Amino acid sequence: MLVKDCMTRHPIMISPETPAAEAQKIMAENQIRHLPVVGSGKRLLGLITRQRLSLKPDELGSLNIWEISRRLSAMTAKKIMLKAEHVQTIIPDKTVERAARIMTDHKVGCLPVLEDGIVVGILTETDLLKSFQTMLGLPADGVRVTVRMPGGVGIFKQVIVAISEEGWPILGLGSFPTRKQPGYWDSVFKIAGVNIDEVEAVINQVPNQEIVDIREVV
Amino acid sequence: MAEAAMDWTVNKNLSDAGPVLKIEEVAVAYKVRHGEIVAVQNVSFEIKRGESYGIVGESGCGKSTVAWAIVNFLGANGYVKAGSIKFLGQDLVGKTGEELRKLRGDQIAMVYQDPMQALNPSMKLGDQMKEVLTVHRGMSDADAAKRCIEMLDRVYMPDAANVMKRYPHQISGGQQQRVVIAMALLNNPALLIMDEPTTALDVTVEAAVLDLIAELRRDFDTAIMYITHNLGVVARVCNRVGVMYAGEMVERGTVEQIFKKPQHPYTQGLMRCVPKLGADKASSMLYPIIGRVPPPRNRPIGCIFNPRCDYTQDRCIEERPQLRDMPNGVSVRCHFAGEIDPAQWTPPEELKLPSISGGDGDNGEAEPILTVNGLKKYYPVQGSSLKDLLGRGPKRYVKAVEDATFSVKKGKTLGIVGESGCGKSTLIKTLIGLEESTAGEAQFLGFDITGDLSTRNKQLIQELQMVFQNPDSTMNPSYSVGQQIGRPMIRFGTVPKNQVRDEVIKLLQAMRLGENYYDRLPRQLSGGEKQRVGIARALASSPNVVLCDEPVSALDVSVQAAILNLLLDVQAESGTTMIFIAHDLSVVRFFSDDVAVMYLGQIMEIGPADAIYAPPYHPYTEALLSAVPIPDPTIQQKHIRLEGNVPSAISPPSGCRFHTRCPRRHLLPNNGKICEEELPPWREIGDGHRIFCHIPLETLRTFDPIITQKEED
Repeated sequence: MLVKDCMTRHPIMISPETPAAEAQKIMAENQIRHLPVVGSGKRLLGLITRQRLSLKPDELGSLNIWEISRRLSAMTAKKIMLKAEHVQTIIPDKTVERAARIMTDHKVGCLPVLEDGIVVGILTETDLLKSFQTMLGLPADGVRVTVRMPGGVGIFKQVIVAISEEGWPILGLGSFPTRKQPGYWDSVFKIAGVNIDEVEAVINQVPNQEIVDIREVV
Repeated sequence: MAEAAMDWTVNKNLSDAGPVLKIEEVAVAYKVRHGEIVAVQNVSFEIKRGESYGIVGESGCGKSTVAWAIVNFLGANGYVKAGSIKFLGQDLVGKTGEELRKLRGDQIAMVYQDPMQALNPSMKLGDQMKEVLTVHRGMSDADAAKRCIEMLDRVYMPDAANVMKRYPHQISGGQQQRVVIAMALLNNPALLIMDEPTTALDVTVEAAVLDLIAELRRDFDTAIMYITHNLGVVARVCNRVGVMYAGEMVERGTVEQIFKKPQHPYTQGLMRCVPKLGADKASSMLYPIIGRVPPPRNRPIGCIFNPRCDYTQDRCIEERPQLRDMPNGVSVRCHFAGEIDPAQWTPPEELKLPSISGGDGDNGEAEPILTVNGLKKYYPVQGSSLKDLLGRGPKRYVKAVEDATFSVKKGKTLGIVGESGCGKSTLIKTLIGLEESTAGEAQFLGFDITGDLSTRNKQLIQELQMVFQNPDSTMNPSYSVGQQIGRPMIRFGTVPKNQVRDEVIKLLQAMRLGENYYDRLPRQLSGGEKQRVGIARALASSPNVVLCDEPVSALDVSVQAAILNLLLDVQAESGTTMIFIAHDLSVVRFFSDDVAVMYLGQIMEIGPADAIYAPPYHPYTEALLSAVPIPDPTIQQKHIRLEGNVPSAISPPSGCRFHTRCPRRHLLPNNGKICEEELPPWREIGDGHRIFCHIPLETLRTFDPIITQKEED
């Protein structure tokens, strides 16, 4: 899965002249946490997050009550946004895991997706979590089985062959090294239109593996 | 089965990211001298990312007004009176001109009906397209050009780089519309508003443009608002539909829900107006909706549809219904929605339906009234070289009609279909004498009609009359209706002068127009009424043959149904023979006994209507049928698209004229080499059904039917 497959296209964006109060309203009404600020031709100028909208307490303390309202009314998106040069971005052709890596490395919650400096979409934590769900086939009903096996292709292939010979559709698939058991891998399969017993019977035909978890998910 | 179900759930789960456009209880008003006119009210709907939302209704229902309100094109006196229009979470009502201008350039794009009006005729296409990028995005000229070419390729424009150097008039209408769509997509808009984008195009081009729209929606996740009066188009491209009537939204739901079980009486009425492809006049009937859309000033107080509704009760007249959510997820603005069963519907008494005998009984033996044999019409073309000017260059011709051979029996209807530029109109213009034929024979009741009008006597002219496509341009605006209809009667002396008025009124009544129409001027009539007057005028001299050139193409579906019924009635009553041209294949199928399919001046297939619409087909007929949008989402059509344009008639392709675009050529040995070299033979199937093709009948017979019913899940 690439960024372009899971990003949100046509995100809500604002212009730099938008008052901060309106930006806050747009974010609240649409239940979003990130608001790209764009200039003419959707060129990225900056990013507004919830944190950018909060005033720092020490700054707040130094203002008297009249100054606060004046300050707030003069505040525009341009003044409070995180400038584009400090915003982490990505292009549509990168992989999702790469995007996730950038987000965890920099501890940011969203990446504007750019093509030649033009915003074509946005990738947020929510989008990544959604793509994670799709990869493991969550939105559909079926049996989710975790099979533990030693590394190497042999056994994995046998499991796949056993499932496909039954003609069962695999909706989702994920594989990762078993924690604290070097050399072993856990593979999760999501299969539709079957019940637990059938799956168990078929997978148990394959030697050298162990079903560590099997459940019906709806 | 399981996989299909899975797709559905996955999509449902992931597309909850808020609508791109959300319209709530919008009312649009125009300020006029005496206060204001509310054109649209209580319209609400939303369009999500990657969804295409259809808005249907007759003309004058406020479909376009809604679209204009979104982009604030309402003009100086129009404004959004109530409600909110939210685009990507921001309210558009009350935005300044500058902000809106920016949004329109960056995020909202529009495609209108007539592509020629959207393109600047004095600028090269490339320059116009590049402007979008260089002005809005500040892109360099070279980069912009590169991106434009990519986008033109994306919309399947042949030879994109070359098209950039041309002017709008140098490409065809379908190509112009593609340029406009490409231009609209250059900035990757979040919302694309399409206002009747394919209405002016041929079915084959329309099909290609609709395919393109569906594809672009998937790839760019663009929300599309699709305005049209064509229910077939909606069924093909939209996910959800809103039906508008007299400025209100009366029903909205998914395409399947609306088409399978329309609940508002208006929607049900619309469905009954449209001939189904495959239906003919003997087995089915069109039921026009009585009356017409009330103008905004005179809308009824209660339910706006009550004057035309068959189920009106006291409550409908007193109380305006609200849009209610029905159990199956459809919203309907009707007090009695859910209680009305369209299957129980019977036509109201005041609706006069044509008495169709189907022409049975004495048919078959009837004498052909019109026989045409090898008729040709060539137009000479003047070259521009010196040699041509001196008259010494080779003579060149536009071969508009080539070897037309057919006959029409008395009281029958011959339908002619084909793309624009295929010579349909030229053929009937030659028959009626507006053009002189170049070669061949044409006889009407034994009289020769190959010459033009000057060679014909008055009686012959009287017997052949014509109904034109556009009543606006064929009626004298300064003559009253009565004068226009009375004129042929006086000219031909069919009616004594002192009885003309009575006869005209009789005709008007036959056209369901009252006596009070006698003194009206054409500008005081609606489109449908004008066309009725046009038909009345053609019938005034009580002709034997009426030639109809697209008489219903410019009309709304309910008016179209009424006009078709009228023509059928006239035919049944006076046994008039008709030649009927239309580009809508379902209308032709419904109306005609025999059908001729023309391509580039050549009749490709001719035969009884039901034989044309079932295999064996000519490959061209097959492609045409696969392109017709059918107003029924449960019908599956084979996907055949013709590539390229109709070749020039000045130098038509050698051999079979269709060989350059034929999708079935490969069935013949040597990839159809014979098609390029030799004229195909006429293959007789019997019952007058002939196909002009090299492919042997046995092979043609093996083609699957184009239209099949989808299996129920």
